[in-house]
Formats: sequence, structure tokens, C-alpha cells
Amino acid sequence: MKSNETEQQFLKLAKTIQMDERVPDGFQAQVMARVREQHALEIRSSDEQFLRFARNLPANEHVPYAFEKRIMARLRDLLTPDPLTLWSRMLWRAVGPCLGVMILVVLFSSEGLVDTSAGQAAGELDFETADFETVMLASFDDLENTW
Amino acid sequence: MQATENSQETDVRTDEELVRIVVGGDVECFEVLITRYQSRVFGMARKYFRNESDAEDVVQGIFTKTFQKLSSYKGTAPFEHWFMRLSLNACYDALRRKRNRPDQTISDMLFDDESWQDRLSNIPDASDRVGLEEARELVYTVLGQISDRARIVLTLQELEGRSIREITEITGWSESLVKVQAFRARKEMRASVERFLMKEEKL
Repeated sequence: MKSNETEQQFLKLAKTIQMDERVPDGFQAQVMARVREQHALEIRSSDEQFLRFARNLPANEHVPYAFEKRIMARLRDLLTPDPLTLWSRMLWRAVGPCLGVMILVVLFSSEGLVDTSAGQAAGELDFETADFETVMLASFDDLENTW
Repeated sequence: MQATENSQETDVRTDEELVRIVVGGDVECFEVLITRYQSRVFGMARKYFRNESDAEDVVQGIFTKTFQKLSSYKGTAPFEHWFMRLSLNACYDALRRKRNRPDQTISDMLFDDESWQDRLSNIPDASDRVGLEEARELVYTVLGQISDRARIVLTLQELEGRSIREITEITGWSESLVKVQAFRARKEMRASVERFLMKEEKL
């Protein structure tokens, strides 16, 4: 009976004592440092584990059937000149000289025009245009005659 | 057919001799060089390209380019080094071109039946074709998150176990660039692995 009372008293006393919720200085940082360390260790170990895994995988050196023949056929194709390619290459090569000739012709003809224009009178020009018209329409004149 | 292959395999002429002959006009001798190196080049290409047709295209391009550039081979270094350097550069160029077309994301590579770490601890047997294929996909996906240069350095250094000096010789990059890329590669790979783990934790 007496012991029961003592027990009750003890419990009462215990209940009155407030919980000590004080946290030691830097405790959180300490725990976090440990957690980070553990995490880093885990990663490093998985990192190492991954490398070991990748290193030990046997290399797949299987070569497809007659692969060398395929390559050789491709190389032979590369060596055989394609006539169309050759033709287009020649055309491209001709572009430069053609342009050069064209520029020269333009230059010469314009020089010729300058020289002749100085000496030509307006009447002479009219005469030339009349000649040109006669030549161009000559065939039509012939047509009229046949009818 | 078999006889031709065997005769090419047992061809005693050195690479340099064959190169001289091919440059001299006997194109057919190039086939011996192809037979000699094709498996290694396929092995290399498959490290960077998951898709079989991509790997085939790259290897085909490598041999075509080699043939076209053969006359520029001076013979100061072994042909093998010159050729492997050309091959690696071709892989790097193809990787850069392919960069705009990502083919698989991290979420595609998470498994329902087992955790990612469990999978990493079980290296499939050589006879287990499906397992090997899945394992390769996993490696490709993680390495696919890394920048191209860093990926090449990581593959050469960590997976093939080459030294910095060897990598500089193969890639033609400066030693400092290789070191920077190696450091970056580890960092990027760690981040990639971390992303995997975080994604898995969320599921």
C-alpha cells in the first residue's frame, strides 16, 4: 500500500519536471555534416561500383558478316568516276573562262561604241535603223509578193 | 571465301608495308587492313553508340576516311596509333553530331524488379546475352549524361585503364586539357549516378 503511494508520488513529481528541449550549440550542423558525409560516401561507393561494373563488361567486338567486302565495294564506288559528276565538274571549271571572255567582249564592244558614236551623225544612225528594218521585214515582203 | 579470310589473317606484311602498297595503287590490299582492325574498331564504336546501326555507320565512315587520308600517313608513328587516333576522333565527331538526339533518359533505366545498386553488383555472365545487353544500356545511359570530351576521357582512363600521356597521344589534346576533362568526367559521372539514386528513392 505504502509502496503504491510512493510510486504515485514519484509519478506526480516526474510529471512536474518539464522536458529539457535545449539543443547543444551546432548540433544541427554536426548532424547535417554527418549526413552529407554518409551521402557522399554512398555516392562515391555507387560511383566506384558503376565504374567497376562498366570496366568488367566484356567488349562487344562482333563484326557483321562480310563487313570488309561492303567497305571495299564502297571504296571501289568512290574510286570509279561518275560521268555526270565529271561533266558537272567540267562545266563548273568552264564558268571562269566563260565569264572572262564575256567581260572582255563587253569591254571591247563598249569601247567600239564610244569610238564610233563620236564620229557618227544623227542621219547616219537613222539610215542604219532603216536598213535594219528592211532586212528584218524582207521575208514578209516576199510573202506578199507570192500572194 | 573462308580461304581468302584465312589468307588475310595470316598475311605477314606489316601495316606500314600494306599502306605503302595501297597508296601505290593496289587498293585491294586495303581489305587486309580492314580485316585486321575491324573488330577493334567495332569494339570501340560500341562503347560510344548503343544503336548497332549507328556503330556500323561510324565504323564504315572510319574506314572510308582512313582510305582517303592514307596518303597523309607519314610513317613517323606506328600505323596502329595513327589509325586509332583517327578512329577515336571520328567517334568524337559522331558523338557531337548525335548530341542533339538523346535516345534514353534516366527514368527509362529504372527497374521494377531490382534496385539499381543490386544490378550494379551483378555483372552478367558472358553467355547471358540479354543481361549483357541490359548492362550495356545502363552504362550507356549513365555515360550519356556526360559531355562528349569528358566521356571519351573517362572511357579511355577509367574503363580502358590508359594513362594521361597515352590519352594525350590518342586524342591529340594537351595534357592539361585531358586532366581537366578527367576531373570533369568524374564529377559529371558522380552527378549522373546521384541522379539515378535520387530518382530511385523517389519511386
